[in-house]
Amino acid sequence: MLEVQGLHAEVNGVEILKGVDLSVGVDETHAIMGPNGSGKSTLAYVLAGRPGYEVTAGSVTFDGEDLLALPAEERARRGLFLSFQHPIEIPGVRMDHFLRAGYNELRKSAGEEQLDPLKFDRLIRNKAKAVEMEPAMTKRAVNEGFSGGEKKRNEVLQMAVLEPRLRILDEIDSGLDVDALREVARGITDLSVPGTSTILVTHYDRVLSYLEPDQVHVLINGRIARSGGRALAKEIEERGYDWLEAGAGV
Amino acid sequence: MTQHATVTGSWSEQFRRFEHNGAEISPAWLRDVRRSAFGDFERLGFPTARRGNEPWKYTNVRPIADATFALAEYDPDVSAGIDLHAYELPCPRVHQLVFVDGHYEPGLSTEPVTEAGLHNDVLGRHGDGPVVGRLADAIEYRVPLVREHLGRLAPAPGNAFTALNTAFLRDGAFVQIPDGTFVPEPIYLLFISTGAQAVVTHPRVLIAAGADSSATVLQSFHSLDGGTYLTNALTEVVTAPGANLRLCTLQRESNDAFHIATTRMEQARDSRIASVVVDLGGRLVRRETATLLGASGASVSLNGLYYGAGKCHVDNQTFVDHAAPGASSNEVYKGILDDASHGVFSGGVLVRPDSQQTVAHQVNKNLLLSSDAEVDTQPKLEIYADDVTCTHGAAVGQLDADALFYLKSRGIGEDVARNLLVHGFVSEVLDAIEDGAVRQHVEQAVAGCLSGSR
Ligand SMILES: Nc1ncnc2c1ncn2[C@@H]1O[C@H](COP(=O)(O)OP(=O)(O)OP(=O)(O)O)[C@@H](O)[C@H]1O
Ligand SMILES: [Mg+2]
Repeated sequence: MLEVQGLHAEVNGVEILKGVDLSVGVDETHAIMGPNGSGKSTLAYVLAGRPGYEVTAGSVTFDGEDLLALPAEERARRGLFLSFQHPIEIPGVRMDHFLRAGYNELRKSAGEEQLDPLKFDRLIRNKAKAVEMEPAMTKRAVNEGFSGGEKKRNEVLQMAVLEPRLRILDEIDSGLDVDALREVARGITDLSVPGTSTILVTHYDRVLSYLEPDQVHVLINGRIARSGGRALAKEIEERGYDWLEAGAGV
Repeated sequence: MTQHATVTGSWSEQFRRFEHNGAEISPAWLRDVRRSAFGDFERLGFPTARRGNEPWKYTNVRPIADATFALAEYDPDVSAGIDLHAYELPCPRVHQLVFVDGHYEPGLSTEPVTEAGLHNDVLGRHGDGPVVGRLADAIEYRVPLVREHLGRLAPAPGNAFTALNTAFLRDGAFVQIPDGTFVPEPIYLLFISTGAQAVVTHPRVLIAAGADSSATVLQSFHSLDGGTYLTNALTEVVTAPGANLRLCTLQRESNDAFHIATTRMEQARDSRIASVVVDLGGRLVRRETATLLGASGASVSLNGLYYGAGKCHVDNQTFVDHAAPGASSNEVYKGILDDASHGVFSGGVLVRPDSQQTVAHQVNKNLLLSSDAEVDTQPKLEIYADDVTCTHGAAVGQLDADALFYLKSRGIGEDVARNLLVHGFVSEVLDAIEDGAVRQHVEQAVAGCLSGSR
């Protein structure tokens, strides 16, 4: 589904990604771990198409198509979704209006009929309940005044509405209390219909107990320093990254 | 000095003709008021950005001073051909007065006024409804409120445009809400310009809100066609104790028009005014909105939205005079400036020495959609009391790039995303319109204007 090869990327003229290789197949879940500042969010942004992140070498294909040639909105329309580490607050723009615009754009590009406000209202209510979010929150401005945990839950709601095939979840587990973590993780699993793949950026092994990764990768200094199974995540939780950094020549 | 004489020369000629053409049937007091106002105008001349004339620092009315405008003639055929559909409010009942090029249009208005009816209403002997009628009638039938307030709230000696408006005062709208009256349906004052070239109108409005009354008044200025003309509007508002008045102004003049609008309000104890002004059109717009919080417990909220495109210049000047203790004011003005447009905001707040426990907040935010657009914004706070809560803030910026990316990452394309953000930016101002029908009407006008712009 997603093939990343020799990816180099710069932000403000500083090279952050220094040759990332990653292959994610259909129905697979990949966890990406790594110390602060190692480039995990940068990788997520590059995949989602954030302006200002310049790819200097390498390639990314999504279902065989050159992902890097597409603007962010086209990537989303093809089924890619980024759950932000820090979701953006947008004063004055209501959640439901925003999400209806996104939903209808996806339908339009899929050649399907647009949903009118009434029908969409029903849809978003049901989705909100499914991810255990108060439907009244969807009438508020996007993320404005939401708590850290509410913002994360809101990312899950958006995912539930947009039904992406490739989900890049950047620290969806940060800032959640234990119950919220379980609910959010359940939301993500419930949405994992066949044909869905997930890239999960995290610092903690806990979320992996809910979302059973097929592979765990460790990103250090802009490169994947090691890949392995769930055991690797457990080892990192116990030992930290020092032993890997030495091996990665940092 | 010689230049000064030529600037006002054509106006003098016009004033003489105006006095001859039937304006002389007015009562003597009004003729005196007009003559004195014209004298003020001749003395003042049009304002210039000369050193020390701070309020006119950024706005050059030379194009108005240099042009010659004629008073618009009344043409019943034109009025008969106007389709009001596009201007209708989305509600079943409305008190509506329509003026076409400054002339009252009975065929389009809903409020026939008779002398007896007017008197009964004003004295509170009639039904419970508001008086919504022609100022000319109120003058003719000697309504005491008119004599008392007209020209008092907006004195001519201080301002050339006010002086001109009063000098050419013949008609306009008169709104009176009797004591204790709640008016559920909006009062709608619609001023339509046919867009005729080089024509001037001086729309005049007097609003008197009785004690503990409640009403919504929408003033709307529209153009049928894209001419270069001058609208010089003046609105005087006075509230009795406990009145609750919602005022909204929607300005959609032609993109070549000059629009000068002055609103002067005077508020009594515990009265509340919620004002929302929306400027969407005009080549050169100057709007002054001022209120005197003259007694304790008075409160005002001043909200504004201005949109500039092309080479439009739009200048909003607000002034809140805290002349009594325990009064409050809250101001939110937002500007969207595209192309090579120029926005100006100046927020004056005066807290007089004995006005303790004053609360005054002011915010001005501007969104620049083009690198050629400009804005000058400045708070002007003069605070002479010590026990006060005053805040002010100004911001100028572009669309938030992070927010734009967030929207796009959900599949929303550039145009729709920008539109959502721009609407998000203005919603705070439009949400301040309390009447649902008025809000919907104004929102539609704003949406039409913003979507047409790109
Ligand atoms: N706009 C920017 N300008 C300059 N440097 C940047 C910018 N954005 C990111 N960086 C730098 O890129 C590096 C990688 O940042 P990134 O956010 O990808 O790290 P991360 O692995 O997600 O870290 P964390 O675990 O703390 O979220 C950091 O050193 C960061 O300071
Ligand atoms: Mg990060």
